[in-house]
Amino acid sequence: MHDRALTAAELDAFAAEIDAVRARTVAALGQKDADYIRGVVKTVRVLGLTGRALLLGGAIGAAWLPAILVPAWLGGVLLLALSKIIENMELAHNVIHGQYDWMRDPSLNGKTYEWDIVATSENWRKTHNHQHHTWTNVRGMDDDVGYGLLRVFPEQRWKRFHLAQPLIAVIFAILFEWGVALQELRLGRWLAGKMTTQKLKEDFSPVGRKMVRQVFKDYILFPALAGPFFLPVLLGAVAANVLRNLWTYTIIFCGHFTADAQTFSKESVIGESRGHWYVRQVRGSSNLSGGPWIDFMSGNLSHQIEHHLFPDVPANRYAAMAVEVREICRRYGVHYNTGSLPKQFGEVIWRILRYALPVERTVRVGAQAAA
Amino acid sequence: MLSRLSFAAQTLASPPVLEFWAGQINKSWSFERSLARVVARHDASADAVTLILRPNRKWRGFEPGQHVNLTVEVDGRRLTRSYSPSKAEGRRGCIEITVKNVPGGSVSTHVCRRINVGDVVELGQAYGEMRVADPEGRAVTGPRLFLAAGSGITPLMAMTRELAARGMPEPVTLYYWCRTRAETCFASELRALAQRFTNFQVHFMLTREAALCDDEREGRIGTVMPAARTADRVFACGPSGFVASARELLAAKVHSFVAESFSPPAIEPGDTGTVRITLARSGRTLEVARGKPLLVALEEHGETPAYGCRMGICNTCACPKSSGATKHLRTGDIDVEPISALRLCVNGASSDLVIEL
Repeated sequence: MHDRALTAAELDAFAAEIDAVRARTVAALGQKDADYIRGVVKTVRVLGLTGRALLLGGAIGAAWLPAILVPAWLGGVLLLALSKIIENMELAHNVIHGQYDWMRDPSLNGKTYEWDIVATSENWRKTHNHQHHTWTNVRGMDDDVGYGLLRVFPEQRWKRFHLAQPLIAVIFAILFEWGVALQELRLGRWLAGKMTTQKLKEDFSPVGRKMVRQVFKDYILFPALAGPFFLPVLLGAVAANVLRNLWTYTIIFCGHFTADAQTFSKESVIGESRGHWYVRQVRGSSNLSGGPWIDFMSGNLSHQIEHHLFPDVPANRYAAMAVEVREICRRYGVHYNTGSLPKQFGEVIWRILRYALPVERTVRVGAQAAA
Repeated sequence: MLSRLSFAAQTLASPPVLEFWAGQINKSWSFERSLARVVARHDASADAVTLILRPNRKWRGFEPGQHVNLTVEVDGRRLTRSYSPSKAEGRRGCIEITVKNVPGGSVSTHVCRRINVGDVVELGQAYGEMRVADPEGRAVTGPRLFLAAGSGITPLMAMTRELAARGMPEPVTLYYWCRTRAETCFASELRALAQRFTNFQVHFMLTREAALCDDEREGRIGTVMPAARTADRVFACGPSGFVASARELLAAKVHSFVAESFSPPAIEPGDTGTVRITLARSGRTLEVARGKPLLVALEEHGETPAYGCRMGICNTCACPKSSGATKHLRTGDIDVEPISALRLCVNGASSDLVIEL
């Protein structure tokens, strides 16, 4: 950590350099980026269809040739999970940010795209695009700080409930898509009596419809196509969704809960300048090193820092932008938090375990950013 | 049968998935969008190309003289322009559009240079008041005077062909302005029609070249006055200035005057003055200061558009813009294209706008 407080002039200069990286990239957007995202769509569709065909074919075909059941099931689960992971991360998350709105393709419109997950895109646009991205890691404003469930920073108030969080974190990981779906409902506020039941019902209605649609599609209609051999198909669909949940949870937790990621107080963001906003995005985010495969499979959240600086720039550009951003951060002495997936996720696990206990501080000091 | 199959498919898979596979099987297949395949192309003049298009089942047809929006993808971006189609001769269910290559025009250049037979374009539903029948669909009789300038010929050509197909039941006179003879479209077809029908006359009006043939004349509208009769139904199509002149010269003297004009939005330099913003959904029209963030401007008029970060990152306030020029207030970039997601918080108006609110 080499963080130091930047002067107002330095913050302005920092913002100008980050803006320049953005302007250069946006000016170069074109056919290559359009072809890229359409290639992603195709990958998602082909993997999804092949995975579902393997699950169905294996289940039905096993009646005659039992040996194919296990390999077809494993292959089907893996392909369907890959399809869902790529759809959620590299396609939907990026499209919903409006990254490809410049193409004006109605099927890639950030305001209308609906993703293959129980959470609604509409709620995601609110909690994620607005609250999380504007108020990144600001305690009390960014619901993604521990998702109102886990204590991952010493500044969060400890409650006895947190003692169970090592177990809760695992359950949350397995059911991650349901957690994301319920996040916007703010059940905690309702339980505490701060929200009327009527309001909760209104808020739940679109979420409930999406849940029913997803459950019907994956767990009723799809297995039903196999007739009496529905069971392996149903289990395969559950397994694929759980695999997707575990992977997305792992990647997303690495984005803001690593050892060096910082949180900020509400007071520190009052009247913040553009430069200060940029610096907060860098200090609150952490990248994953590892190259093109981890970039693709994480939906480029391996470039979480760049994603927070440029949430509406096509994510396939982050890798190239990262080279410049890292160099700018080095010159201004802003810590650029990156590491391998095992290292970063190890740090996340450490935070979940450590802050389950009523400890106030880690060994490292200065988790508060210079305001 | 097809609709049953489509219903069964839509129960089994979500619309975007079906849309993807339909497009994979055949680029012009779609459950939702009206698309058209280019089945032929030929040069219409020295700088214009005619495309023959076969629309899919989603397209609801047109009346000659109406316009359609044609959308093509240029360097990854979908761009839309209006054209006036005609029925394609000898090909049932096909339409033809003629696109004049405008120097520096990204769509016309793309169509003239890049679009080939087999390519698929998006075709909007037909609109517009320029048509042979009256708005209620009743046949209209009486002499017609057609005034066309440049690519404004296309709706009038479509109406001329339609009337020719009906045996030219009433007199039609066409004045067609172009800069030079080489830029004139449909010349041989128009001359053939004039030979065939005594009821039909065509005058080629040249503004930058000397007249040579009997049916050619020189001079702009205003310097040469088309001979109009009080019974004439006048249809004029061309750039805004041309249509304004025609209206001034003739509108009060004839039976009826229908006109359509096309011109890019007028962008005045600087951030001073006001512009008119039309909210297409509510029908409200507001007068707002040029260059002020649209979100702020709308709120000052009592509108309550959805918003989030107010700094151009969260996309919450984005709404479609159907026409007009906007300026990105941080980068200074001007955008004149219709777009699907205009961020109200970081864009100001540079011209009159129509937005989908």
